[in-house]
Order: sequence, then C-alpha cells, then structure tokens
Amino acid sequence: MTKIKRRTFVGLAAATTTALSMPSIAFGALPRVVVIGGGAGGATAAKYIAKDSKGAIDVTLVEASKRYYTCFFSNLYLGDFRAYGSIGHNYYGLAVNHGVNMVHEWALSVNNAAKKVNLGSGESISYDKLVISPGIDLKFESVNGYSAEAQSKMPHAWKSGTQVQLLKNQVKGMKKGGTFVMVPPPNPYRCPPGPYERVSMIAHQFKKSNPTAKIVILDPKNKFSKQGLFMEGWQKHYPGMIEWISAETHGGIKKINAATMEFETDLDTFKADAASVVPAQRAGRIAMNAGVNKGDWCPIVPASMQAQADENIYVLGDASIAKSMPKSGFSANSQAKVAANHIRGSLTGSKVFTPRFANTCWSLVATNDGIKVGANYKATAEKIDKTSGFISKTGEDSNLRKATYEESIGWYSGITSDMFS
Amino acid sequence: MKSKLVLLSIVFSLIFTNSIFADPKQLVGADANYGEHLFGECVTCHNSTGLGKGIPKITGMKTSQFITKILAYKSKEKENAVMQMVAERLGEEEINSLALYLSKLK
Ligand SMILES: Cc1cc2nc3c(=O)[nH]c(=O)nc-3n(C[C@H](O)[C@H](O)[C@H](O)COP(=O)(O)OP(=O)(O)OC[C@H]3O[C@@H](n4cnc5c(N)ncnc54)[C@H](O)[C@@H]3O)c2cc1C
Repeated sequence: MTKIKRRTFVGLAAATTTALSMPSIAFGALPRVVVIGGGAGGATAAKYIAKDSKGAIDVTLVEASKRYYTCFFSNLYLGDFRAYGSIGHNYYGLAVNHGVNMVHEWALSVNNAAKKVNLGSGESISYDKLVISPGIDLKFESVNGYSAEAQSKMPHAWKSGTQVQLLKNQVKGMKKGGTFVMVPPPNPYRCPPGPYERVSMIAHQFKKSNPTAKIVILDPKNKFSKQGLFMEGWQKHYPGMIEWISAETHGGIKKINAATMEFETDLDTFKADAASVVPAQRAGRIAMNAGVNKGDWCPIVPASMQAQADENIYVLGDASIAKSMPKSGFSANSQAKVAANHIRGSLTGSKVFTPRFANTCWSLVATNDGIKVGANYKATAEKIDKTSGFISKTGEDSNLRKATYEESIGWYSGITSDMFS
Repeated sequence: MKSKLVLLSIVFSLIFTNSIFADPKQLVGADANYGEHLFGECVTCHNSTGLGKGIPKITGMKTSQFITKILAYKSKEKENAVMQMVAERLGEEEINSLALYLSKLK
C-alpha cells in the first residue's frame, strides 16, 4: 500500500518569507530564474516556474527567435499532412498569461561566479538559478565534405525553419525517377526515429507525384529506432522505393561532394538528385560556454536535472545526458517539469516531489499509419532509468494505426499548448 | 502485488460506498497540490484548453469517471498503450490526488 505522507501547502506569503530570508537575495527582490532557449525544454520550464510560483519568482526567458517552429511534425509538413504555419508558435501566452519576461536575444556567455548571463546586445541579466535548454548544434565536419555552406544543397533540416521548407521544395522538384539520398546521424542525436519518419514522408510525396523515384539511406549505424516497424511499413506502402544500407554494408561514408551531389562509400559512389544530410550533433554552444558540458553533452543529476558541474544551472532536453531517455520534445517537456519543481523548491521552500519522467514518440509511416514507442523513467543515483515501456507491434490492425496517428495529432496540440499557452 | 492491493482497496471502496467520490474528503491520501503537480504529466498530451481532437479532454471529467477509467487502464481492461503505461505507476495516493485536483478544475 502506498505510504501516505502529509503535505503542507506553501502559499504565496510563506514562499516570499522563505525567499526573503535567503542571504543572496536583496531585501524586497524576488528570486530570479533565467531560462536560455524557448523550445520544448525551456518554454515548459519558464511556464511552470512562473505559473506554479504564482508571482513569487521572477522568470526571464532568453530566446533568439520570436517564433518557434517545432521540429516535431516538420516531417508531417514534408508529407503534406501539415501546413507550415501550423507548426509555428509565438511567446504571447508565456508573456501575457504567465508573466514571463521575454528577451528575444542571443545569450552569448554565462558568468558562473557572478551568476550573470551576457546577451548579444551587451546587456546582462542576473540569476539565482539558470536553466539551459539550447537544443543542439550540428557538427558539420562529422561528414567529410559537408559544411554550413553545403547545407542548402543537402539540407539537414534538423533545426526546423527554412531548412525544412527548402528540403520540401527540393523533394517536390526532384527529377522524375531520380534518386534521393538520406544520411541519418550517428548516435546519440535528436529524435531517434526522426530520419526514418522523414524518409517515410518523402516516399509518400514520391508515391503521389514521382512514383519511379528511389530513396537510398546511407546510415552510419547498423540498426535504428522502430526499425522493424518502419521496414514493414516501407514494404507495404512504398514497395521497391526505399533501400536502407547499413554502415556494415557500405563501409562508411568517406566523402560527400555537394557540387556534384556524390556520396563516396566503400561499397559504391552514389549520385543523388536531391539529398538530406544530418550530421552528428552536440549540445548548443551556450552550454559549452557555461562550462556544464563534458565533451559534446552535459552530465546532469538525474533527480533534479542540475548540471553536475554547477548546482545553480539546470540543463534540459537534447543538450543533457539524460540517459536512458531519448532526445525528444516529449522528454524535454517532462524533464522541464522535474526541474521547475526542484527550482521552485530551492527558491521558495515549496514541496519537491519525487521526480517522474516519461516519453512517447509517435511517427507517421503513411496516411493513417501511425506507430509509437514510449517509456516511464525514474531517477537513480547514476541515471534516468527506464522502468517500463511499450512499442507498436508489426502487423497491427489498420484501425489501431489510424487511432495512433490521430493520437499523435492530439499530442501535438497538447504539448504545444502546454509549452506556449 | 503492491499495485494489486491498491487496486483492490479502491475497487472495494467503489463497491461498498455508494457516492464516495462525491465527497473529496473521502479520497484517501488525496492532496490537491500533489494532484496539480501530477497533472503536469497529463497535459503533455491532453490539451487543457482545446477541443480534445485525437486525445480526449480530461478537464471537467467527473471524479468517479476519472477513477474508473484510470483503474481500467491499470488493469489493462481498457486498451491504449500510453494510458496503460501512465496508469501503471499511479498508486492510490496519486490517483486520488489527481481526482481531487481535477474535481477543482472547471
Ligand atoms: C525531424 C524531427 C522530428 C522530430 N519529431 C519529434 C516528435 O515527433 N516528438 C518529439 O517528442 N520530439 C521530436 N523531435 C525532437 C525535438 O524537436 C527535440 O528533442 C526538442 O525540440 C528538444 O528540446 P530542447 O528544449 O532541448 O531544444 P529546442 O526545442 O531546439 O529549443 C532550443 C531553443 O533555444 C534557442 N537557443 C539556443 N541557443 C540560444 C542562445 N544562446 N540564446 C538564445 N536562444 C538560444 C533556440 O532558438 C531554440 O528555440 C523531432 C526532431 C526532428 C529534427
């Protein structure tokens, strides 16, 4: 039987008293939280800290863009299942409904000792607690021949925005019967099933308007997320169109040439008519600047999402090493709530609950053919450990697949309203 | 084992007390603050403001209906892989706290 603990309500008055009794905070001033990055992790964290503290914490969100285009459902836009405008969101709700101070600038650096964030404009903002959720940066050099210059010839489209629009345009304009080459990233990366959902959506486009086109996947891995499900779906919906070539088989991508659209491997040199190259990834640069990384990613304390390197900094989402959670928007949203509860507890003395993490990732294989994978997690001393999980099964009934797709639409509307309204 | 016990105790109270859930005081171990915190997990998918397309809206749901549904997912009587997983780790205290919080939402 679950043990029942008595919980006491900490109201605004009590919270303020606790805050005022803290030595680091000037009399009359509210404790300050600065969040860098208004994506799945940062927007959620800013909202929940502001909402739950009911004015007892001053929250500033530093986000470079005024409009956030989600990576999630950007594949559905590629497949014509979503309009581009429907995956864009603004920060009106955070500012107006929750009183988050929106600063649309780049955070350039963090002064850990002085607890200040320096902005592109030259201004700086002080914090008591800092949340960093900058997402990823791309390691262009991880694919020999790929670069920021080459990205418009072979869009990565891994940070949403114009890159995705460009990719869609190139897919639609590809010559009849041509070859599309997809290069997925090596592990670990943002959205494990993402490259394969992308291939599915591109195949869906080709099936409609370019049915003799081919898709070649040159994978730097030997297996991938939801592999059995994707392979089954490709066979069923796009027979003969998609060829997945594992690292073992092609022996590694030696060099790519964006001018000639060639991909050199041990197996063969592949010539593409259109392509998408997603290189290896690392935590957004600001995390390196704050010194909370160890190599490409940031180790965290599983129970709170605090950076192991600085207890006043929390790292969320893709930038963190949240093993065994995948790098997903759902994960980032879940981690943000754990961090928000912990931050509020440490600044106002409110109750800190046992952390609970969860993730579910839906993917669309074809019209009304949705699949999903999910898990529950708990914090242990070493990691965020999986406690249970599920995955769609091969050979599932088409009604179930349709319901799964519809569920993903519900999820998109749920998570974006959770983040932004 | 543990979850079976929790389930049993809730099922018993459902059977033997007629309108138990009409009175939030009888939600054993319920804490609205804890419920509000736990609700954060629900709203990642259940839109708290929109139409509930694809995923049903849960705000405004009757307390008894909420508890019956969660228990049905927990026992896997009701299908849905995500909800079965969510319900799996909700104990009596969590279910009752969520129920209490939901009953206070408009
Ligand atoms: C094709 C694709 C499909 C996907 N599909 C799904 C899906 O179906 N489900 C799912 O759960 N996830 C999906 N994802 C993954 C999901 O998009 C990410 O995991 C999620 O966005 C991570 O959240 P985050 O907060 O870490 O980073 P982001 O959401 O990328 O947010 C980071 C924000 O920080 C800002 N920023 C960065 N540095 C600074 C700075 N120095 N100063 C100011 N602002 C800064 C950026 O502008 C950005 O808005 C998908 C990803 C891709 C690429």
